Amino acid sequence: MSKPYFFRIVASVVLVFTLVNSCQNGSFLDVKPQGVINANNYFQTQQHAIWSVNAVYNSMRDWNLTSFPWLAMTDIVSDDATKGSFPADAQRLSAFDEFTWDPGYPEDIRNSWRGHFQGIFRANVAIDGIPKIPVMDEALRKRTIAEAKFLRAHFYFNLVRWFGELPMITKPLNQDEFYVQVRKPKAETYQLIVSDLTDALAGLPEKSAYAPEDLGRVTKGAARGLLAKVYLTQKDYPNAEKYALEVINSKQYDLLGDYSKIFLPEGENSSESVFEVQATALEASYAGASPWNMVQGVRGTPNLGWGFNLPSDDLLKAYEFGDPRRDATVLFVGEALPDGSGIVEDNPAIENERYNQKAWTPTHALLQDNGPSNIRMLRYADVLLIAAEAMNENNKAQLALTYLNAVRGRARGTRRNILPDVTLTDKDALRQKIWQERRVELAMEQQRWFDLLRNGQAEAKMKTLGKKFVNGRHELFPMPQTEIDLSGGNIKQNQGY
Amino acid sequence: MRLIYLLTLLVTLFSVALSAQVTVTGKVTNEKKETLIGVNIQIKNSTQGGVTDLDGNFSIEVPSGEAILIFSYTGFQTQEISVKSRSSLDVIMSEATQMINELVVVGYGTQRKSDLTGSVGSIKSADLQKIASSNITQALQGKIAGVNVSSASGRPGEGPVIRIRGTGTLNNANPIYVVDGLILDNIDFLNSSDIESLEVLKDASAAAIYGTRGANGVVLITTRKGVRGQKAKFSFNAYNGVQQVGKRIGLATGSQYAELVNEFYNNVGGTPPYADPASFGAGTNWQDVIFRDAAIQNYNLNIRGGSDAMTYSISGDAFLQDGIIRTSNFNRYSLRVNNEYNLIKGVKFGHNLAFISSSNNGEPGGIVFNTYAADPTIVAIDQNGKYGSTSRNSNVSNPAAQLEYNSYNRGYGQQINGNAYTEVYLIKNLTARTSFAFNSINNRSKSYEPKFEVDEKQRNIQSRIAAEFSRFNDWQWENTLNYSREIGKHRFGILAGYTQQARSGERIGGTRQRLIGDTKEFYYLDAGDAQTATNYNIGINPEKYQSYLFRANYAFKDRYLFTATFRRDGSSKFGALRRYGNFPAFAVAWRVIEEPFMKKLTFIDNFKLRASWGRLGNDKFPSDAAIPTVTNNLSAVFGSTESLNFGASLISLANPFLQWEQTTSVDLGVELGFFKNRLTIELEYYQRNTNKILVPVPIPDYVGSASNPYVNAANVRNSGLDLTVNYRNSVGKFNYHFGLVASTLKNNVLSLGTGNEAIFATATRTVIGRPIGSFYGYKVAGVYQNAEDIAQHPAREAVAPGDLRFEDVNGDGIIDSKDRTWLGSPIPKMIYGFNLGFEVQGFDFSVDFNGVNGNKIYNAKRSARGFGIPNYETSFLKRWTGPGTSNAEPRITNGGFNYQVSDRFLEDGSFFRLRSAVIGYSLPKKILQHIKLDRVRIYISGNNIFTWAKYSGFTPEISSENVLQVGIDNGVYPLSRSWLAGVNVSF
Repeated sequence: MSKPYFFRIVASVVLVFTLVNSCQNGSFLDVKPQGVINANNYFQTQQHAIWSVNAVYNSMRDWNLTSFPWLAMTDIVSDDATKGSFPADAQRLSAFDEFTWDPGYPEDIRNSWRGHFQGIFRANVAIDGIPKIPVMDEALRKRTIAEAKFLRAHFYFNLVRWFGELPMITKPLNQDEFYVQVRKPKAETYQLIVSDLTDALAGLPEKSAYAPEDLGRVTKGAARGLLAKVYLTQKDYPNAEKYALEVINSKQYDLLGDYSKIFLPEGENSSESVFEVQATALEASYAGASPWNMVQGVRGTPNLGWGFNLPSDDLLKAYEFGDPRRDATVLFVGEALPDGSGIVEDNPAIENERYNQKAWTPTHALLQDNGPSNIRMLRYADVLLIAAEAMNENNKAQLALTYLNAVRGRARGTRRNILPDVTLTDKDALRQKIWQERRVELAMEQQRWFDLLRNGQAEAKMKTLGKKFVNGRHELFPMPQTEIDLSGGNIKQNQGY
Repeated sequence: MRLIYLLTLLVTLFSVALSAQVTVTGKVTNEKKETLIGVNIQIKNSTQGGVTDLDGNFSIEVPSGEAILIFSYTGFQTQEISVKSRSSLDVIMSEATQMINELVVVGYGTQRKSDLTGSVGSIKSADLQKIASSNITQALQGKIAGVNVSSASGRPGEGPVIRIRGTGTLNNANPIYVVDGLILDNIDFLNSSDIESLEVLKDASAAAIYGTRGANGVVLITTRKGVRGQKAKFSFNAYNGVQQVGKRIGLATGSQYAELVNEFYNNVGGTPPYADPASFGAGTNWQDVIFRDAAIQNYNLNIRGGSDAMTYSISGDAFLQDGIIRTSNFNRYSLRVNNEYNLIKGVKFGHNLAFISSSNNGEPGGIVFNTYAADPTIVAIDQNGKYGSTSRNSNVSNPAAQLEYNSYNRGYGQQINGNAYTEVYLIKNLTARTSFAFNSINNRSKSYEPKFEVDEKQRNIQSRIAAEFSRFNDWQWENTLNYSREIGKHRFGILAGYTQQARSGERIGGTRQRLIGDTKEFYYLDAGDAQTATNYNIGINPEKYQSYLFRANYAFKDRYLFTATFRRDGSSKFGALRRYGNFPAFAVAWRVIEEPFMKKLTFIDNFKLRASWGRLGNDKFPSDAAIPTVTNNLSAVFGSTESLNFGASLISLANPFLQWEQTTSVDLGVELGFFKNRLTIELEYYQRNTNKILVPVPIPDYVGSASNPYVNAANVRNSGLDLTVNYRNSVGKFNYHFGLVASTLKNNVLSLGTGNEAIFATATRTVIGRPIGSFYGYKVAGVYQNAEDIAQHPAREAVAPGDLRFEDVNGDGIIDSKDRTWLGSPIPKMIYGFNLGFEVQGFDFSVDFNGVNGNKIYNAKRSARGFGIPNYETSFLKRWTGPGTSNAEPRITNGGFNYQVSDRFLEDGSFFRLRSAVIGYSLPKKILQHIKLDRVRIYISGNNIFTWAKYSGFTPEISSENVLQVGIDNGVYPLSRSWLAGVNVSF
């Protein structure tokens, strides 16, 4: 056979085999995602439970949950702080000082909303997925679900206080559910928060029961403490008292001796810590950090940050004479840094220049962008003041005074002539006293606006300061315009917007 | 199975039996009996053929006495001659003013232009070489009707955005490129000298053979091959030139800026910082700091030729371009070897192989915007070598310092691609071809940033290195059978094939800090501190395709032409149940000119009507859009040692129900030729409807997804007219030509799926009844002149005199977000180009113009305020400073309502441009004979010589791959104007 014929035969055979091959080659198109787990194969092992819950904690360090949106809607909007930095810098944030925000502006309102719902999404993934893991340690299963539920309750608690009625998202949504959600009465949100926290309480260990490597995970104490605050917010004083006392009686916590040490690195996860967001400055990357320090750090010299969220004149006036908490909370121009590494120099571009000392942190790897501070979300002192407030409302003024004075006593330290014990027992007067104590004890810790709203003081206080607070409008932030646009009107706007 | 083997046997037997080869020899001359050298001879319905030698003689083996030979030669009419068992043939070829019978490349084959039933636009190799650019698609601008080419940036080495007959998807709307059969997403590696022809398949009938990938159009590129029987021919082409920024933006001077800043503080509160604004004078014009006159060079040497047994084409090319922004550049060296071997009768082997090595350096990140925004009162660098701080006021980095500290951004690429194929003549009229093509890319990049401090914002606290290596592989195996026959007045051809394609890739890289040295030899990860190490290694999801293709052509009396095409495509991007899509197309054409009644109309030489219908698919979306994956490294910090605990979760939603996007396209065309085809006119109407467009539909934030899931949501229609006119004539030795292309485009969203009112993006919205990505915002009615003015008109709270007065569009007496409205579209209503040129006495001259009309540009860089006080354009100097001073530009504030999306930042995007002008001179034959050269031509040319545009930015070509965000200018790398001198030599 000559070569051409040979090639024709070979070609014909190859051709036919190709045809046969093409008709049978069904699996050619099956490909696997590379280096990532296909979501359909997630929640198979015990590790997956831990990973999915860690991812919820991870969202707590997100920009939207720690920085402009968080600080603007807690401190800057309140009487404790002003926007900060120089006037032109992120000028939009002055909307929170001036009460000129609207549904589309500034974007920080939407970012806050979005950041919290992204956290809720991850919590929902964990809560939905962990029960499906075929075999795992049952105690761990219970604990990890409890952790996710606690964090979901925390997210919803912020949202319901800021925005009022909310769409209730309790599982990852399907495509046909994206646009049909409507806002549910606040009671439903609170019901979910309470039930999540009750489940969390049942499933979580006490602080001391965690292994050292799990330090920072949420605890029974955190669940009780948050329940107490949730009930206090709802004015359910017996339950607020009950859960605050449970924290106290658990003997897991104690006030730290020196108030000024609470916010230093050595004060992280102290005896006073009930719930704090864990962060650290790694050498190699920002993976363990949050922007919380950077946004509030000294702007100028020594250069530590952007200089936002500055303590207000009104806050300075709120302290009793000689209260050492004032100097522990406010970093003044000319003041030495807590570690003695430098002195804050005057930056002429910034008005009312003074910084939030609670967000100060010593020099660390990768500097300011790599914020290492744990964010103290719930301190024992806060729980004591909840106990005091609830007990006063429950007509147990004497007991209330014990807790109030414990907080004052710690602040007083060894100095006898300041912050005398409170002795008055008139319910209304004592209530004011406790509120005042909350303000100075928890100043610049992103609690103030929630307290003003809860106590119904926001309007009066803002008007005293000459702010354009509109009654029936500014008690709640508006629904982000995008939510209204995208839902085709299923999401209704808050009153007044 | 048995049946299949029986079939094999039959095919084999036939192929052995029916092969009586005959040799035909002859001579080819023109009408003046002058011999023609290098005339291409092709055996019809096969890929075999030959060329005439130096004496015009040829010798060719044909499979049978019934074979038909096709003779083609540039400038002459192609002829088909039946061998009819003759062993010798003399052929006289007649010159053509317009080549009606030229061959055009179509998917998986070639066709006579007169036989085309679909819409195919082509561009000549010479036109491709008029534009000095690393990317040949730049040369398509204004050249083919219906093809819109716009530069997304002038960065060296970067290609333009191409839209063929509009934007047919909300997703990736890029066409595919088919280079010698290899399907690719980009052709940055090709140089223009290597290209034989470039065809654009515009309608479904032409593109349907590429099924899945054809919906956005197909650009077919054939690289140059050697010619059989031609002795080695060398050619050398080179040009050298200079590029400049085409236009600068008028920005406030130092003293003007200082005045504005003082006024700013007076308006928003605070102490005006400048006691004496006038003292700053002109200040720093940062554009002078970053722009330069930059060199561009190209050298190409190639050798082509062939013997009976093989043809060869070897070319080497060097393209060297500096960017007009300092420190940026792109260099490419390439080698191409296209050979074909006829070692055995009836069997052909060949390969087209390209080896490319490129390097580039990127300009510092954000430097264009920084240059626009930087504080002009600051000196770039003072006498002590200290860079000025521009971040304090203008909140952007000092561009001069960026050029020093942030300009080591090196990229290197090695790419090998091409194909190896064999074609076997099986039986009479039937050939089988198998081709294995591959594309292998290895890239590496390095960037280094030293430790430096300009000020507290622009600084780097420790030196840092980042390195990445990546590889991408793509292989494709195509098997086709080609059968064609002519029986009396019937001609038909059938193509059937099976193809597979697979793509994969991965990237590995890392970063470290605190390098032990600051010079280049230390730019390795290991020279950094291991404690600061980060690393990654990412697998790119494989993409696989499996396809069956089929095409049948039928012609009756050369008058009635029919084409049917079908492709069945499978893609790994879809779930198992939705994997396959079927894509059919049909076309008919009527060559009216062949009808007897046309014979009397002697001035008409071509008249063809054609119509096509077809369906195409598009799957250009991320390969994990249908398969939800778990995101890694969402880690949490725990423990007394504060260590990172691995976390992972689903953070975005995927959609397992994704399906193909489907484009249904209709094309109606008429082709006319007059006066011996000196004047040709082609007019087409098209309509493309794309259904089930995959789009990341924005979903409410409460869903909690970190990104938006893809949904088969939308339906878009593009329709328009494409007109092509060419006229070519000569008066004595004066040859001249004129060409015009123009296209209208109407883009309209027909639906967005249930529940979706609009797709939102920055400054744009996509809604039913309007073009994709239409601008949406407030209409400025004027400026509030005083308190009375505010009281009389609807106003927001917190407005002051001097703020913009937005139109109360819905008339409800209040200004709020409901008053936003439609402000225009970023998609041109018309694109056009025309060219003219002449040749006389060895001189050639040509000019090309192009333009677009009817689109808007959102000048986002003007609206970017809120952090600091970026510099202002001089147009803002006419701002409102008191009652009656301005009714257009508001008082100075930062951010806020005056800077919300409004027509204040919207500008006319129309432009008209002198795209290129070339003057060349070719040495006369007499001189050439003395110096033993075939051709010597020298030329000078200019690109982007002048642009007439209202737009205030660097360039009116503002584009984006993201179809929802086209026409938004955030500070684009400007397009350059260039002047070149070049030479073409061959011998």
